[in-house]
Amino acid sequence: MAEISENPLSPDSKVCFVTTGATAPFTELIRSVLRPSSLDALGHAGYTHLLIQYGTARSVFQQSVEVAQAHLQSEGGKVALTIAGFDFDNNALKDQFKLVQDSKGLVISHAGSGTILAALRYQVPLVVVPNTSLLDNHQEELAAAMERSNYLLKGDVDNLDTVISTAEDFRVKMSQFPPITSGKHRETKSFGAIMDETLGFMD
Amino acid sequence: MAPPLSSLYTLSFLCALLITLFVGASLRLLAILPRARFQPTAIRRKPSPTRVLVVLGSGGHTHEMMYLLRALDPRTYTHRTYIVSSADSFSAARAREFERLLEDKIKDEQITRAIQKQSFQGMKEGNGVLRLEETEPGRPACVGPAHYDIAVIPRARKIHQSLLTTPFTALMTLLFSFKPLLSATPWIPDQAPQNAREAAARDLPDLILVNGPATAVIVVLASLILRFFNIKGANSRDKCKTVYVESFARVKTLSLSGKLLIKVVDRFIVQWEELEGKGGRAEFWGILV
Repeated sequence: MAEISENPLSPDSKVCFVTTGATAPFTELIRSVLRPSSLDALGHAGYTHLLIQYGTARSVFQQSVEVAQAHLQSEGGKVALTIAGFDFDNNALKDQFKLVQDSKGLVISHAGSGTILAALRYQVPLVVVPNTSLLDNHQEELAAAMERSNYLLKGDVDNLDTVISTAEDFRVKMSQFPPITSGKHRETKSFGAIMDETLGFMD
Repeated sequence: MAPPLSSLYTLSFLCALLITLFVGASLRLLAILPRARFQPTAIRRKPSPTRVLVVLGSGGHTHEMMYLLRALDPRTYTHRTYIVSSADSFSAARAREFERLLEDKIKDEQITRAIQKQSFQGMKEGNGVLRLEETEPGRPACVGPAHYDIAVIPRARKIHQSLLTTPFTALMTLLFSFKPLLSATPWIPDQAPQNAREAAARDLPDLILVNGPATAVIVVLASLILRFFNIKGANSRDKCKTVYVESFARVKTLSLSGKLLIKVVDRFIVQWEELEGKGGRAEFWGILV
């Protein structure tokens, strides 16, 4: 976070936060978001800061940032995007999600269910990118089901630029999470109600 | 004249004995296992002290369990026991944090109530001291370290542990899970229960909440054994009701723990509609985490 404070946030700032998973970092996502097409899409949508949690993949991040900086300079400062990164966070990424929430920004994440559940509670637009290289893993199914319910957008490493543009419209029409009423049942139960019912507490 | 005792040591007698035991055990199992669909049983009144046992395990499962528990009412669930695996300091810390937040929430409610009351009385008397009431209206909220405990049991299977030794470590987990099932660790050691709430904490849990880790499967198995032999009246007093919640990440297929437990838990809850009715009994009430 030290790097981002060099370019302090103003009311006009708009933060895109990318998290790749701490234990087995999703290096393709780091490369993809730092690709010229993604950077241009971010610039076009008015983002001022790009913050990346790279986990243990520091070298991938550093290499990609060099390429990204070269691209931004060659464009002659048309896209003014401050790029910063960090490896781990002790506070479960709460500060980063808050930053996105306050700046009306965007979260791009690997499709781990923990991060999805945490990020959606900040009511921020979320793009999840399933890691297709993982075997027997249900990230793809979960991301697709969540997208069908309009909670988030599913992206992949080859089309981040289009999904970044879509995210601006999605911001206003995304469903609230956790849902107040969901599913086909009219009387939706909370887990507390299920517990009470199991024990026969009906009052 | 009675036949000599040695006539009992025959193969046919052994077979007969085994078959009798097998039939008896099967009948008993059929009697204690839940029906296909959950049906609410006897209606209880809320003031009865209630102990709930929550099995935590590995990062993701613990996260989801904590989201599930956000609506837990400490006025109803008067004692909470959290079972964590050894070397899982993360889950133990999350349980403590959850209890601390629960305590803060209740305190905030008390302060708000006191301020409301004060501002009402203040119009008449006008003394500026805020007084928090020791006794609340209705049922007291049971928060604070006396109302929860964390039980640590050995891990069923370590990462990269060989499959050959897993049955032994799983057996150890099973043996160690009886203690927290039979009673919570008392806040003050060696003190007899002082009231009905403390007595409930030293009794079998009324409710067991699990969601997926291997430890959970073993704890449910242990609770079935208690019900099978009706230890401490586990079955006759309707204790140890089990609720399994499948992970939110499971959209189309059940997890291994889910497949193992679907027929034996009292309620099996899924969070995606496609899984509703699995095993003839999976319930769907929307996303709960």
